[in-house]
Amino acid sequence: MGTISLEHSDRLYWLGRYTERFFTTLKALGDLYDKMIESKQWYKQYLENFGLADTYADSKLFMRSFIFDKSNPNSASFSLERAYDNGIVLREEISTVSLSYLQMAKDTLFKAEQSNNIRMSLLPLEDMLYSFWGSINEHIFDDEIRNIIYIGKTLERLDMYVRLKYPYDSVKKEFVRLRKNLDRVPQGTPYRYNAKYMSVLTEMLVSESDYEQNSVMATEALEHLFERSEVLV
Amino acid sequence: MKRINFYYSTKLTFDDYVHNHSFALRVIPPENPTQKLLSCSLNIDPYVSTQQTSDAFGNNVTAGYIKGDHRFLDFEIKGIANVDNTQYRTDFMPCYLYQSQYTAPDDDLKAFYSEIRGGCTGTVTERAAYLCDVLSDKIEYGKGFTDTSTTAAQAFALRKGVCQDFSHILISLLRMDGIAARYIAGLAFCDGETHSWVEYWTGDHWEGIDPANNCSINDDYLVISQGRDFRDCAVDRGVMFGKYTNQMQLVRSVLS
Amino acid sequence: MVQLKQGQFMQAVGNANEINELLRRYGVKFGIYKNGVFNEQFFPFDPIPRVISAEDFASIEKGLVQRVNALNEFLFDIYHEKNIVRDNIVPEDFIYISKGYLAECEGITPKNKIYSHISGIDLVQAKDGEWYILEDNLRIPSGASYPLIARELTRIAAPQAFEENNVVDNRGYAELLKETMENANCGGVRAILTPGRYNAAYFEHSYLAELTGSVLVQNDELFVEDNVLYHRTYSGGKTRIGVLYRRIADEYLDPLTFLPGSLIGIPNLMEAYRSGNVGIINAPGNGVADDKGIYYFVPKMIKYYLGEEPILKNAPTYLPFYDEDMKYVMDNLESLVIKDVAEAGGYGVVFGSDLTKEKLEEFRKTIIAEPRRFIAQEVIDFLDLPILDNGEKVMRKADLRAFVLSGEQTKVWASGLTRFSRNPDSFVVNSSQGGGFKDTWVLSR
Repeated sequence: MGTISLEHSDRLYWLGRYTERFFTTLKALGDLYDKMIESKQWYKQYLENFGLADTYADSKLFMRSFIFDKSNPNSASFSLERAYDNGIVLREEISTVSLSYLQMAKDTLFKAEQSNNIRMSLLPLEDMLYSFWGSINEHIFDDEIRNIIYIGKTLERLDMYVRLKYPYDSVKKEFVRLRKNLDRVPQGTPYRYNAKYMSVLTEMLVSESDYEQNSVMATEALEHLFERSEVLV
Repeated sequence: MKRINFYYSTKLTFDDYVHNHSFALRVIPPENPTQKLLSCSLNIDPYVSTQQTSDAFGNNVTAGYIKGDHRFLDFEIKGIANVDNTQYRTDFMPCYLYQSQYTAPDDDLKAFYSEIRGGCTGTVTERAAYLCDVLSDKIEYGKGFTDTSTTAAQAFALRKGVCQDFSHILISLLRMDGIAARYIAGLAFCDGETHSWVEYWTGDHWEGIDPANNCSINDDYLVISQGRDFRDCAVDRGVMFGKYTNQMQLVRSVLS
Repeated sequence: MVQLKQGQFMQAVGNANEINELLRRYGVKFGIYKNGVFNEQFFPFDPIPRVISAEDFASIEKGLVQRVNALNEFLFDIYHEKNIVRDNIVPEDFIYISKGYLAECEGITPKNKIYSHISGIDLVQAKDGEWYILEDNLRIPSGASYPLIARELTRIAAPQAFEENNVVDNRGYAELLKETMENANCGGVRAILTPGRYNAAYFEHSYLAELTGSVLVQNDELFVEDNVLYHRTYSGGKTRIGVLYRRIADEYLDPLTFLPGSLIGIPNLMEAYRSGNVGIINAPGNGVADDKGIYYFVPKMIKYYLGEEPILKNAPTYLPFYDEDMKYVMDNLESLVIKDVAEAGGYGVVFGSDLTKEKLEEFRKTIIAEPRRFIAQEVIDFLDLPILDNGEKVMRKADLRAFVLSGEQTKVWASGLTRFSRNPDSFVVNSSQGGGFKDTWVLSR
């Protein structure tokens, strides 16, 4: 049908962002679980990456909060709830099937809290998220509209990777991915990038050393990427 | 028969920009057996494309939509009409027999009607004249006590009101008496920028009566809109968006 | 009672948990407000279907088509010539004191003269097998989506239940709805207007939009320009809407015609509609035909407009407005159910048998003082249906909402929403009161 309101396009964008934030958070916490087999202190590094204070008595409480606590805005659970909130008003856009993967993810996450091997019980979430994206790909027929959710997804991925201080190579790859999606945005529609911030971003990612020095500026540039430039009189 | 030159204007000003402004105006006088338009022009500023329709009550509706930012909406209508009250209007609707939002009586107004109904005898015209007489004894004309949202029952409790309130109370009484009645908004050769009066159904046509002046209608009255009560006759209704907190409306009318 | 093949039937029952799990998975919910807080609840599904034999359905179907056709004729007549009033079939008072009558709709002729495109007719079956009409819902009847998705999922969870039982597939509803919308389309895309995700029936709005390929819209995405309804697109453009299946009540539909304060309406929608530039499903003003007071007259309408005998019966109803009926009501008040015509949603319903002697006398006076305000009905001895309560079969009150769609032809959906009360003493089947739903199986032979 191809008619989509501003409200819905915005919802699609944030559905992409929160779904990805949930996914990347979960993966990062999984890696952290792995590292913490050797040393429990690694979680402090994770907090530092996001500029958060350590208010947790131990690594276990940290993990519980960052996976399950819906009131912690940096938790996986929080992102999933936001993703679902955006998804529920997009049923006819993304399909009941796509939405069902988010519902299943919510149910799985809820049940995992009672498990004695949390990491193990979170594994099916990965399957659900991959299925979700497969379903999105399948059900949104209009390329222009589908691209909006992918812009949200790839922008969030890049942002998370930079914050998590992931290696330059993988960050660079995600930047290319985002750039490809942005280049598909038609004239006169939202999600046209602001050229000023795009060039900041590009410069930040020219080389490995630029990236290491300027990651904060990169995340700031991402925040402003869709700002309208001054209206010319 | 009388030839009337009419002019009516409204300036609506907002204290901040508004946009996505939808409006519906009921300002073009309807044509019927008692009034014919020789000429009529409506100007709206800012310029906007409009559409004309006719509503359920026979009123001309001018609908429009202004998308962009603006701080005012002005419209003025002028024209020439021939008014001839020797002719009859017969556009009856049964809903005029039933109380409506503004005219529904409360216990006081019902009690008042029970008190006076004994004197309400004779032909429909005699009964209407009687009710109008009783009403002018009971209610005092006064500005500033009521507003456009005041119902018949509320105005009756105050014993004060303007032409709109007189009309609503009279309609309420007429309907209680089993006489179909409708509200008329229009222009007349008397004080006030706009005027309102009442028409009652005699059994085969409408007759006009002006409760605020306690007289019957002659060729000095030009109908702009008609309906069950004020709600159907609002000259302008609009919905707009923006951060405005206040709107000011200036109305001017001239008859000659 | 229709006999089903037991083994297969029990499979459906045995898989109740799986089916409810699937319903969860696909988000079959309804929203309710409790103490001002919005909650989404899963709508409890009972796996034992209501089964209607092919023979029974054929007669219900004929009866419903007849009834809805007459109601559509009535709506056209009321908003135009009013012959039925002139011919003294329906007293004028009953039309004009009805809250559902909208004078603003006088003279409007919707495309193809169809007013009630989607009619939800509530029926009950008495113990003797006879079906009775309880009420007509011609405004925005909801509920079709629930048996629709339940069927889809039951077929996955309990395929054998369908293999030998010859159940008519009900999943054509989406196609039927789409046809109905297209028939009312005045040129443009199809849209479903929802008040938003905090509406009790939001699931239904979004699910039907998905299945019919309609745009799901809220009022702030719409505007009327040059008497044409448009959807405002994300890039600043506009898409013309040709038919609007609105899920908000008449009085909120257009703040420039109805309630001036409505924040969920579309200004000047009625002008676009009156000009024939957009179809509205269902037509505004239909409330006059599904009013409790008008219900009494539907069998008379069928005779008047169609010259046919009514196939389906009303519950025996009396109007104290008529002297003869008043006498009957006075003589039998303690065994009747009295309904206030101005009330809706289960309010204003009084069972004479529940009243004390004094209350009964008091109520008699009220009826004599305001005879037009009430209707009285015989209490129907409902046929209870079995439901599963913690794995045990118990009998409960249930009704059936049948959906009748009026497009090029009037068609009855071979299914329907069966709602039941979970409380053994209650007649209230509303989902907001904790009731649940069942699928309705129509057998093909």
